[in-house]
Amino acid sequence: MAERIDFWSTLTAPLIRQNPVTLQILGICSALAVTTSLATALTMSVSLTVVLTLSAGIISVIRRHIPDTIRLIVQIVIVASLVIVISEVLKAYFAEISRALSVYVGLITTNCLVLGRTEAYARHHAPLPAIVDAFGNGLGYSLVLIVIGACRELFGKGELFGLQVLPLAEAGGWFTPLSLMLLAPSAFFLLGGLVWAIRSVRPEQAEAPEHIPPARAEPAE
Amino acid sequence: MTGAWSLFLFAAFVDNMPLTLFLGLCTFLALSKRPASAIGLGVAMTGVLGVTVPLNHLIYSGLLAPGAWTWAGYPELDLSYLTLIAFIGVIAATVQLLEMLLDRFFPAVHAAFGVFLPLLTVQCAILAGSLFMVERSYTLAQSVVYGLGSGVGFAVAVVMLGAIRTRLAYADLPAGLRGLGIAFVLAGLMSLGFASFTQMAAAQ
Amino acid sequence: MAGSDWNPWRRFLALPNDSRTKTVIMAFLVSAFCAVLVSGATVVLRPIQKANRAAEEQARIEALVRGIPGMATLLEQSGGTLSTVVIDLDRGRAAKDVTSDTLAAALADQGNWTPLAAETDLAGLGHRPNFAQVFLLRNGEEISLALLPLTGSGYGGRIDAILALGGDMNTVHGVAVTGHSETPGLGGRIDEASWQAGFSGTEIRDASGEVRFAVARGRSTSVHEVDGITGATRTGNGFTRMVRFWLGPLGYGPLIDAIGRGEF
Repeated sequence: MAERIDFWSTLTAPLIRQNPVTLQILGICSALAVTTSLATALTMSVSLTVVLTLSAGIISVIRRHIPDTIRLIVQIVIVASLVIVISEVLKAYFAEISRALSVYVGLITTNCLVLGRTEAYARHHAPLPAIVDAFGNGLGYSLVLIVIGACRELFGKGELFGLQVLPLAEAGGWFTPLSLMLLAPSAFFLLGGLVWAIRSVRPEQAEAPEHIPPARAEPAE
Repeated sequence: MTGAWSLFLFAAFVDNMPLTLFLGLCTFLALSKRPASAIGLGVAMTGVLGVTVPLNHLIYSGLLAPGAWTWAGYPELDLSYLTLIAFIGVIAATVQLLEMLLDRFFPAVHAAFGVFLPLLTVQCAILAGSLFMVERSYTLAQSVVYGLGSGVGFAVAVVMLGAIRTRLAYADLPAGLRGLGIAFVLAGLMSLGFASFTQMAAAQ
Repeated sequence: MAGSDWNPWRRFLALPNDSRTKTVIMAFLVSAFCAVLVSGATVVLRPIQKANRAAEEQARIEALVRGIPGMATLLEQSGGTLSTVVIDLDRGRAAKDVTSDTLAAALADQGNWTPLAAETDLAGLGHRPNFAQVFLLRNGEEISLALLPLTGSGYGGRIDAILALGGDMNTVHGVAVTGHSETPGLGGRIDEASWQAGFSGTEIRDASGEVRFAVARGRSTSVHEVDGITGATRTGNGFTRMVRFWLGPLGYGPLIDAIGRGEF
């Protein structure tokens, strides 16, 4: 019974409490580049979660026998192979989305999240906990991607998954799309806002100030 | 010459890796807290990109591209699906080699910048430089220019961010925005500024 | 994970992790496993990807041609599959090294343009590209429609058009004007569907093989002419010269001969 509870918290911790993107600062690159539409964001989330889970599983299985000198390259090669397989699957069955994602699927190979979790967790735990942890982190990452992707597509085009949700002004509706949402800066602002929101609700995640101002005795003048 | 210069400017400013393409953000944000580490990262990036992009070009066009094995009598052999593994292997080896060379022949430089090199093995920006080079079918000369340009662009962006964040140490930010939050907002503002460079793309 | 055939491995697994043997064998095993995984996936998925790519190419060409007003109905009437090919104009054959993707780059090279002498330069182009991208509609083995891009100088500037020739390479099935700078209301009326409809059924050459196509000054008087536009004689003349140039020996002439000989 105690093991069960452990799995649950391993699975759900990365959703908000230990979210890889907003707290651990892992996996941000692809998190922003592919969120112009919900479809690409979702595809990226699923791809990364699959790669993360499978690689954590495989590395955890051989964890006791990886020589230290080739440790990093072995992990990278396994992750890269899984990414190639996923990329080929996408090119075969989801050709359009694969083209929209272009090089970012390949970049899952160097995604700090994947390597970070295998290095930090999968190498030291049995396969099942490693897989659960990896899946949880994948879910946390997907959550951030889906939120940002939904915001950007909804306010940038008035669509979700390509379906018009907010009627465009030029088509007779009331919604004028915010084109800024389709540009790079908006992803940064949204992510910053998301981090601010999470850390306001959970102040234990906020960083300590780098410089404590001296206690004011008298005004300077 | 005009072609090379405009490609350089394009790689450095229009297609800026951290601010336009969202590449290399983990190290971009993690190492921009102080200008010293920012400069170190920038120089290391430029060096590694300038070496790996042309090297990967040679490997891709010589071994992996469709039709690369025509000289051996296998014109239909298409090994491009091995690109990812090959590139990452080359990058890891190059970084290791660069570190060893620096340590042996330029110990002063190694002391200043060498510590950043292992970080760059798994940097998305380095791999992305090579992947974009394949996607856009650059020649060898263009690969060199593109690699150096991207590195310089990254260096400019990270040093700027480092400078701003140092001054923000004295700012009275809301607790939730401190550190990561404000770094994102700053990056967004810088990205907005860099978006104005797309006018330069007309030259391309 | 455990299995009866792991017994021979136990000795290997028991080796210390940093022993040289184990490092080498481990590296080899991981590489072999990944190689099998990657190659297996690629081999299995490659046929599906190829089929997808072919379907996409088809869809893209059709979208391109459908975008030209008037061509869509033409395509539906003729039926068949649409394909595109870059032609080497001088030889009347498919270009060897240039594809539709590399065409723009090839044409950026001045070496791929042929200068034209004044007497032969009917369309007033000055020079002519050596490669052109044409679209062919096939019904089985036969070509039922050929879409040939034309360009020439009109009254106010360049005229760009696409001529649709039937399988006999003599009967015009339709025309689309994709660009011009003619006077609105006068020469600009070459844009209008009503004028373009007059092209249908026009024959380019007469029985002796001579190019007789012309835009008439008033109403068309023969099967080789189309109605002119009142007040736009110069535009009409420009159009005539453009069609005559491109369907002659310096334009698509060699290609038309090749199609007539069944080489396509």
